[in-house]
Amino acid sequence: MDTTNITNGIGKSQERREDFRFLTGAGSYIDDMNLDGQAYATVLRSPEAHADVSSIDITEALALDGVLAIITGEDWKVAGYNPIPTKSAVRKAIDGSDLKEPPHHPLAIDRVRYVGQPVALVVAESIDVCKDAMELIDVDYDSLPSVSHQSEAIKDGAPQIWDIAPNNICLDFELGDQKAQKKAFSEADHIVTLNLVNNRVTAVPIEPRGALASYDAGTGKYTLWNASQNIHAGRDTIADAVLGIGKENLHHIAPDVGGGFGVKNGVYPEPILILHATKLLERPVKWFNDRSESFLSDTHGRDQVSTVQLALDKDGTFRGLRTETVGNLGAFCATVGPFTPTGGSSRTQGGPYRFDAIYYTAIAPFTNTCPLDPYRGAGRPEGSYQMDRIIDYAAAQLGMDPIELRRKNLIPTEDLPMKSPMGLDIDCGNFPEVFEQTIAMSDRDGYDARVQKSAAAGKKRGFGISMYLECTGGGPKEEAKVSFREDGKIDLSVGSSSTGMGHETAFAQILAGHLGLEIDDVVFRQADTEATAIGGGHGGSRGLEVGGSAVLQTSREIVEAGKKIAAHKFDVDADKVEFSEGHFHVPGSNHTMTMREAIDAQNDPDMLPDDMEPGALNISSVFERGIISIPNGGHAVEVEVDPETGTIKVDGYWVMDDFGTIINPMLADGQVMGGVAQGLGQALMENIVYDDGGQLVTGSLMDYAMPRADDMPRMVIGYYEDAPTAKNLLGVKGAGEAGCVGAPPAIVNAVCDALKDFGVHHIDMPLTPERVWRAIEDAKAS
Amino acid sequence: MPLITVHVNGVETTKEVEPRTLLSTFIREELKLTGTHVGCDTSQCGACVVSIDGKTIKSCASFAWQFDGAKIQTIEGLANGTELHPMQEAFRTHHGLQCGFCTPGMVMTAVALVENNPDISENGIREGLEGNICRCTGYQNIIDAVKTGAKAMRG
Amino acid sequence: MYEFDIITPNSIDAAKSEFDAAEDGQFLAGGQTLIPVLKQRLAMPSDLIDLEHVHGLSGISASGDTISIKAMTRHTEVAADHEVQAAIPALAKLANGIGDMHVRNRGTIGGSIANNDPAADYPAAVLALHATIVTDRREILADHFFTGMFETALEEGELITEIHFPIPEAASYMKFANPATRYALVGVMVAKSHNNVRVAITGAGPCVFRDAEMEQALMGNFSPESIKDGMIPADDLNTDIHASREYRAHLISVMVRRAVAEAVG
Repeated sequence: MDTTNITNGIGKSQERREDFRFLTGAGSYIDDMNLDGQAYATVLRSPEAHADVSSIDITEALALDGVLAIITGEDWKVAGYNPIPTKSAVRKAIDGSDLKEPPHHPLAIDRVRYVGQPVALVVAESIDVCKDAMELIDVDYDSLPSVSHQSEAIKDGAPQIWDIAPNNICLDFELGDQKAQKKAFSEADHIVTLNLVNNRVTAVPIEPRGALASYDAGTGKYTLWNASQNIHAGRDTIADAVLGIGKENLHHIAPDVGGGFGVKNGVYPEPILILHATKLLERPVKWFNDRSESFLSDTHGRDQVSTVQLALDKDGTFRGLRTETVGNLGAFCATVGPFTPTGGSSRTQGGPYRFDAIYYTAIAPFTNTCPLDPYRGAGRPEGSYQMDRIIDYAAAQLGMDPIELRRKNLIPTEDLPMKSPMGLDIDCGNFPEVFEQTIAMSDRDGYDARVQKSAAAGKKRGFGISMYLECTGGGPKEEAKVSFREDGKIDLSVGSSSTGMGHETAFAQILAGHLGLEIDDVVFRQADTEATAIGGGHGGSRGLEVGGSAVLQTSREIVEAGKKIAAHKFDVDADKVEFSEGHFHVPGSNHTMTMREAIDAQNDPDMLPDDMEPGALNISSVFERGIISIPNGGHAVEVEVDPETGTIKVDGYWVMDDFGTIINPMLADGQVMGGVAQGLGQALMENIVYDDGGQLVTGSLMDYAMPRADDMPRMVIGYYEDAPTAKNLLGVKGAGEAGCVGAPPAIVNAVCDALKDFGVHHIDMPLTPERVWRAIEDAKAS
Repeated sequence: MPLITVHVNGVETTKEVEPRTLLSTFIREELKLTGTHVGCDTSQCGACVVSIDGKTIKSCASFAWQFDGAKIQTIEGLANGTELHPMQEAFRTHHGLQCGFCTPGMVMTAVALVENNPDISENGIREGLEGNICRCTGYQNIIDAVKTGAKAMRG
Repeated sequence: MYEFDIITPNSIDAAKSEFDAAEDGQFLAGGQTLIPVLKQRLAMPSDLIDLEHVHGLSGISASGDTISIKAMTRHTEVAADHEVQAAIPALAKLANGIGDMHVRNRGTIGGSIANNDPAADYPAAVLALHATIVTDRREILADHFFTGMFETALEEGELITEIHFPIPEAASYMKFANPATRYALVGVMVAKSHNNVRVAITGAGPCVFRDAEMEQALMGNFSPESIKDGMIPADDLNTDIHASREYRAHLISVMVRRAVAEAVG
């Protein structure tokens, strides 16, 4: 593809256009929206991890003043709706059989399978009345044995959650060449094995999930405002697959959304329930989760236990990699759920390192826990952690230098383009150079002095590095629609969706920059099924790659159409007309026409060539990317550990990213820093814990620790921009998830480096002070 | 029901409130000032922070009737028309916000931190923001915004 | 939240009689714990009796060897008070580390002490500094005040009016914060006065407590070396997802050593 001719507007730290409304309190999030006559809904959730629902008595609750409706699983059964389907891209087990997909109804029917599962929807005149009514609903549960952990779920004799899934297994999965891997292992001098845990975490966007539904009995059309990242696909699933109302009858819109990180991507029960209720009552219905409900019901992420084996030669040359993962799915197949531990975690196995062979297998079982679905990175953080942790672990076991080990094994530039052993098309990049730049920026010269200074204070300092390999792009298609108003404003509608990433700015920057128009004139619309015909939403760091490319493609088509108008005016052939910096001109002549003049001309038939209709510059174009792009980069970290308490202070953080072309460095920095914070959270403190009885122990922000300002180091970020990809029009590689892909292994490596004198070479995440202290004590004792 | 009079962003309002109405609910639903956000139910996140007589509080952990006669400032009261307060401007310049949901609480807190200590250090800012959680930014641009905002507020 | 009525008395007497008249009254003294509890429907008082407007319940004074803090004095005020900072800097530091700025602007010392949350900071200061809790009807020594988890010697309707803190020769508060709430996972106040040393520990057990063995050791030699690992048995300590009882026992020793080191200067 042609990645040249990306003109002005690119590469500039353009301030965000959405910020004025966000900074003045004028944003419009779900809970800020209200409709006349609106009722409120709350969800009664299961307190049991696994139980038969023998009866639900709603009589007393229904009699309460202000209660409008109570909907239970029985009502749902009678209504005859379909379950919520999974859209997992991996659908077959190794033996070719279909994945086991249990029926996922928005309300529990006869049995509950996780704490927090919706049991009834209460609709009333106010939230307080809803809550009063919930206390009056009498549900009889007959408890069943439950299983919370995936390693327990696959054991013989474990409680069985679904009849269709023996041993609770939804599917298994393999990728890579097992024979070649075995050969590499048999030839290698060393095989190093490490068991590790990618801890279960949750996204916690600061805006909880919520939705507002209305129904027009006259037209039979529903409108759903939903704090969702994936409006078009969500509409199709909700309207066509579940409710059977026809997607043309559901107008699905996301207003301002307060963070997503993957957790607002899937189709959830509650918006479907309020669509049912709004029709039933012929009143708008609003539902908004409490934070504590979010912990119970927002899909969780990660939760994989893995055995990783690295085969290498005496001189440190990597030969083979073998990873076996058991990835928790929770009680149902969420929207993408089964894909994460299988396909999602397999593709970047091996990272940017050269291997003879890699073989990845996974088992994905059900448990009596909240369903899991993508969380920022969805499999790539897991793979990166496995790869870059085992390098440091192997180095410690074999007395090698982890930095040299990486230097020796990075895929050299002359090998590119290549297909990785996992089938990934690595088209461009310069891993050795990114690595050296990462090291160079991380102030290694001052390190020894800092180690001494820490030691003098009784602390241990360590340095760690990771070299991540990403694959980004998400949904492959996107539409960008442009139309020019007579008042000079430019409507730009795009099907991707921003939950804070700044599309309103970046996309306008691309359009206005390319056309030589004013960015302030661009009126942006996104995440609305009536604004664009298609839309891939947000996921897989696709915004700029696919959405941005669609904007550029539409911009280019506008320029081409504009050339015809200019040619008609100049009375020359269109191919003689060139466009630059907002002007059409013919080289060697003094013909010139601005883009604005062409826009003004588009509605005047006299100004148009015969084959053009008025409005010819109002163009909608669909961009479809080819294969996914391969961002990559290095994270370097310094930590200081207090061995007496086990407290970790992350004291230095450096990132060198290859995102191809950088459109807006300020926004890219923001993505990286936010991602690092989430990776740091996973590495050091975040942990979703269920007890053996399936109760969620970390059910609020009182128990689930998240990074605050004083937990974060100052981060220094650089970009390697010499390897733009040709896989999309902008030359960009997705920046959204990389931060939390690279951070966990780099941080854990740094801590293990700090503790190496104690003989501590691995600690499972999260590295809480107690875990660090225990690791030191255990090492001392042995 | 108690009848209260409050001065919100310079405007005096008298309303009846239920005893159990939280200040955050009153501001959002009675006054229709929806810039004050509610991000949690245990008073950790700080999205609901407003300023009462110059001191920041979590409006989700107070009842409306407790502020009878008080001067309340919300995020809507910070800018002067289209002219942003220097702290808002600094958040914008430094990309100190992404999704914008924690932002009102962050900005209100930042203004109070600087009013209490015009020469606040980076560590002081980090510690001062411990009652406000942001999930998007990694905080660094917020810290830099507060530094710049402080400088501008010092004049 | 359940429904309730509110009462805003101006005097202690009025507050008391309103409490007596209420079916199931509850004093509101800042509300930074109580309001979140009400929001979660974990309590159902018939009436909230707000103490905010009761005359004479707020303020700080110093006289000779004592700092007196009225019950409705907010954490921010204690932290910023020059007399507290000069006389008992550890108390100012403790107050400045409670919750966060917004919580400190609302929460009060009387509310904190009456609630006696096992992870609250103030109880450690009250106990280590050998404070006296003055109520509407009597004076209670700290040693007799904290009786169990969320339990105190306060009788039904008894109201804290003031706390007298004797000024120690030296004191220090060291807190190891819970990463989620910033409450004390382990908080240790060490105070030394006239050859007497008191060590109070919060966050680690069901209720704030003193440790006699550590106090004895420190009376013998007020130095960090006097505190050995294992002085506190882990058996009776709290254990939860953030810290096991063994880790808490270890942290207590570390925090006491650090507190003593700071107090020694």
